[in-house]
Amino acid sequence: MSLYSTSVKKPVSTIMILIGVVIFGLYSYFQLPVDYFPKIDPPFISVFAYYTGANALDVEQNITRKLEDGFGSITNLKKITSKSKDNISVVTLEFEWGTNLDEATNEVRNAVGLAERNLPDEVEAPTIFKISTSMMPVIMFSVTSNESYEAIKDILDKKLIQPLNRIDGVGNIIQTGAPVRAVMVDVDPRRLDAYNLTVEQIAGVLAANNLSLPSGDLEMGKSDLPLRLQGEFESSDIINNIIVSNANEKTVYLRDIATVRDTLKDIKTYERANGGKNVRIMIQKQSDANTVTVAQKIKKKLEEIKKTLPPDVKVEILMDSSINTLNSINNLAETLIYALIFVVLVVLVFLGRGRATFIISLSIPISLIAGFIYMYLSGGTINIITLSSLSIAIGLVVDDSIVVLENITKKLERGGFARESAIFGTSEVSLAVVASTLTIVAVFLPLTMLGGITGILFRPLGWVVTITVATSVIVSMTLVPALSSKMLTAKTPDRKSFGGRIYWFSQNVLERMDGFYAKTLSWAVGHRWTVIVIAVVVFGSSLLLVKVIGSEFMPSSDNDRISGQVKLAQGTNLDETIITAMYLDSVFRTKYPEVEIVSSSAGSGDESSLAAIFSETGNYIINYTFKMKQRKDRKRDIFEIATEMRKDIEKLPEVEKFYVDPGSSRSSSAMGMGGGNNLEVKIYGNDFDETNVISERIADALKTIKGTSDILISRDREKTEMQLVLDNEKMTSFGLNTATVAMAIRNRINGLTATKYKEDGDEYDVIVRYDEKFRRSTEDIQNISIMTPQGKIIKLSEITQLKRFYSPPNIERENKVRVVTVSAALTGADVGTVKAEIEKQLPSMNIPSDVSIDFGGSAENMKDSFQSLFLLILLSLILVYIVMASQFESLTEPFIIMFSIPFAFTGVFLGLFVFHSTISVISLIGAVMLIGIVVKNGIILVDYTNLEADRGLSMKNAVITAGRSRLRPVLMTSLTMILAMIPMIVTRGSGSEMWRPMAIAIFFGLTVSTMVTLILIPTIYTIFGVGKIKRARKTQLKLQIKNG
Amino acid sequence: MKAVFIVYNQSLTGHIEDVLSNLRLRGFTRWTDISGTGSEKGMPHEGTHTWPELNNAHLVVTVDEKVTPLLEKLRNLNNTVEAQGLRAFVWNVENMV
Repeated sequence: MSLYSTSVKKPVSTIMILIGVVIFGLYSYFQLPVDYFPKIDPPFISVFAYYTGANALDVEQNITRKLEDGFGSITNLKKITSKSKDNISVVTLEFEWGTNLDEATNEVRNAVGLAERNLPDEVEAPTIFKISTSMMPVIMFSVTSNESYEAIKDILDKKLIQPLNRIDGVGNIIQTGAPVRAVMVDVDPRRLDAYNLTVEQIAGVLAANNLSLPSGDLEMGKSDLPLRLQGEFESSDIINNIIVSNANEKTVYLRDIATVRDTLKDIKTYERANGGKNVRIMIQKQSDANTVTVAQKIKKKLEEIKKTLPPDVKVEILMDSSINTLNSINNLAETLIYALIFVVLVVLVFLGRGRATFIISLSIPISLIAGFIYMYLSGGTINIITLSSLSIAIGLVVDDSIVVLENITKKLERGGFARESAIFGTSEVSLAVVASTLTIVAVFLPLTMLGGITGILFRPLGWVVTITVATSVIVSMTLVPALSSKMLTAKTPDRKSFGGRIYWFSQNVLERMDGFYAKTLSWAVGHRWTVIVIAVVVFGSSLLLVKVIGSEFMPSSDNDRISGQVKLAQGTNLDETIITAMYLDSVFRTKYPEVEIVSSSAGSGDESSLAAIFSETGNYIINYTFKMKQRKDRKRDIFEIATEMRKDIEKLPEVEKFYVDPGSSRSSSAMGMGGGNNLEVKIYGNDFDETNVISERIADALKTIKGTSDILISRDREKTEMQLVLDNEKMTSFGLNTATVAMAIRNRINGLTATKYKEDGDEYDVIVRYDEKFRRSTEDIQNISIMTPQGKIIKLSEITQLKRFYSPPNIERENKVRVVTVSAALTGADVGTVKAEIEKQLPSMNIPSDVSIDFGGSAENMKDSFQSLFLLILLSLILVYIVMASQFESLTEPFIIMFSIPFAFTGVFLGLFVFHSTISVISLIGAVMLIGIVVKNGIILVDYTNLEADRGLSMKNAVITAGRSRLRPVLMTSLTMILAMIPMIVTRGSGSEMWRPMAIAIFFGLTVSTMVTLILIPTIYTIFGVGKIKRARKTQLKLQIKNG
Repeated sequence: MKAVFIVYNQSLTGHIEDVLSNLRLRGFTRWTDISGTGSEKGMPHEGTHTWPELNNAHLVVTVDEKVTPLLEKLRNLNNTVEAQGLRAFVWNVENMV
């Protein structure tokens, strides 16, 4: 027994099973976490190696190159990039998407192990580090305070960070900008010399005076008690009175040679939020935790924590990555509701019957809910991709039910018995329904096989649409006949009732439309070649639009965030930088009412920390993070604001380079996400001077192109270093070696942590070093005293010479060749045009033969994904052809139908042009989907025309009769899809930029191709059809002759 | 005894069953999913893509008195839903076991 007859005969079971599916689907829905994108594991592994004291060139020569050489044979490796800076080498390995990163990590570890033997002894063991999206902070707080500022670190540690750390899913919490308490012992070098003491000796004395040691057990009678010597500093004042020397019978106290301050460590950073002193707290999530869930838990906990904090401590949320996600998802959910309303309205207008509309509409929620079940079972999330898939599916899932219901109604109207009409009505169209769904699947299923980042993004889309459409077929063959047999009546509605009026009105209008169409069609069939020539001209001229429409990788979206960086001249000290920072802070705060929080930081907290690798810091660099008001509360978008901000920064003469990055896309593009819109020109070549010159030329060329800004050359200008050049001969004659001299200098300038002072369970560094006034000038440095092993004090000037020296501050390499990247943010221009413009200018730049140029940034991503998308289009075309050829058992008919596809692209180009949108991955995905959607119309039309021709009608009559009778189903299935796209086009708000191009592509592509299908396809059909009839007549004639 | 051969569009199955049970005609033989075409008008019922509809047929053997009311009811049905297709033929039963 077939599926539909079973369900008609057992309507209760049918309804119960579907209710079961709905309940499971709703359960899945409520369990589903929300996210912006599908889960992405960026295929990057980094290797860090520290080589303290080495400059960029040394690091490159001794570490980076050796590591790179070792990585050559790793499987699935796509690209090696490296950055050699002073003290540190970072080699980043990019793998093909989808590579098993655990296996890759093992391979990298082995390679590092092998390479390690060739590294200099002083290099610390390299660290292997997997980069993941979870490293992007989920939430950033800015904590401002007045009285509590000095103790803020401890307050935050105990009251904020510890409770937050206990939240499920919270990973690292990083605190920056908090002042650190320390006991500073600033010694006077002249007095040290006078008492024949050194910094190291003082540190030794301090350490020796701050001890707590177990001293064995004490047996007393029957008890056995542990004995402990308590000699730790009870308060920091005691340190002043420590005796550091008893030489020559004279007691020297520490206070005689140094000032002891219990204070804050020298702050080498500047952190402000809205101009106030600020501590920034960044919270990362664990890699498998969900951003939105974690952010919500953190915010809930934060409200409780706020009550326990001192009243002057204010915690504000600087960045909350969940807000944008939630807004976008809510927006999209809203468009989904509107799409649903539109679709139901279309069905109602065309059928004019409430009950029929109800039955068809039921297939929408059931099919969509099946999508949620898939998301839940596959461990997915509700994200903008899965939700857009549902929006697309809404227009598709009603089609099958419409076809089935229409046929059942036809049977009923001819007096069929309800049950039989339902069963046989379904059975007659079942094959056609399955076949037309297969063409949709033929387009969406290949999406699940896409590789690269596009694959990760659109795999869920492929699955969701495939599954919902498959479910809609099942619904149309079970629930629709079952309900039809119970609910539908053949009666035409009463003209006086409300429902009846709607019915007759819509039927009237539709009747007239049918007539008009039949007339147009009969004209077209009579003027076949005119129609074809017009069509070719329309398609040809639409291709010209391609040149005008720009292209980009992904549309950039307004996510209420802007970040920026301002670099002053190399070597500018922090105080100078702070002056600029404070000025800019005030400009941004007063001039832009859209800005909610301005957070700025300058200076390098800790040069060798992991955080320093991800964000470039330095005394001459100011980093900005702006939190904007929500999009609906402001008039200008972040791109306009960023343009204004650029102008403000440009005015300052001290600024050497800067960028303003609306959407903070730089950090995400570092992870291969490609967000944002930028072009990178890469200049490969080992000669610094040559590549520097070329990079300047390219930067100049970029500046002249309209619509580019933030033009940056990745290699900084050479920086000045003061270098102490050792006279080895003299040094050894004093019995010293490089290491002791280097340590001695470091201890005097940078300080030596002698011991830890404990208070209330917390430890604070006790740091000994020269008083600030003795380490300010080159003379001071040359006057540094070092004690020889013989106990003699010598001056540094005796064994070294101080020289000024220029060195490249950073050396970047890609695939083992040095590279300079010139990057430009695109504001108004698109990647494709700018790239073409630069390519045109390259020949006139006199590029030496050993320098090569390549493009990267979103241009590189664009090239890769466009290639795979064009392959996908080809694959879809072939699959759709295969499905249709087997459905029609003909090679020519699918070909006729496929004539509607080029016009879908005509529509896409037209839409993108009208809406000033671009050809991007998103709009191309829309175009791919169109292939499956538009042929559906052709199938309906051609199939019915075949039928009429087989029933004996003449070719022209068959085409017109079929056209007239199929006009409504074609318009209905197309309009449900077209109108479902309108909410996505119209809605403005968070994330809308992301999905709008796809909606535009589908809307215009389907509109144009539907109009074309209705006229052109029947016309072409007659051309092929006439030949077919002639051939059939010829064979018949031959047979007659044979038979005599 | 008469044999009545009723051949009709599948969609009418329910109606035919109703007619037979109303007249308490218990004995019959039924064929389902059969194809056929009328001599004058009406669409062919062939179960193909071009002519998707199919017929069912009942062969009812009954006493002479019941034939007239049966045909009467079938004629009524056919008149209301002419487009569906319904024919009945009656012939004599010579002998039986």
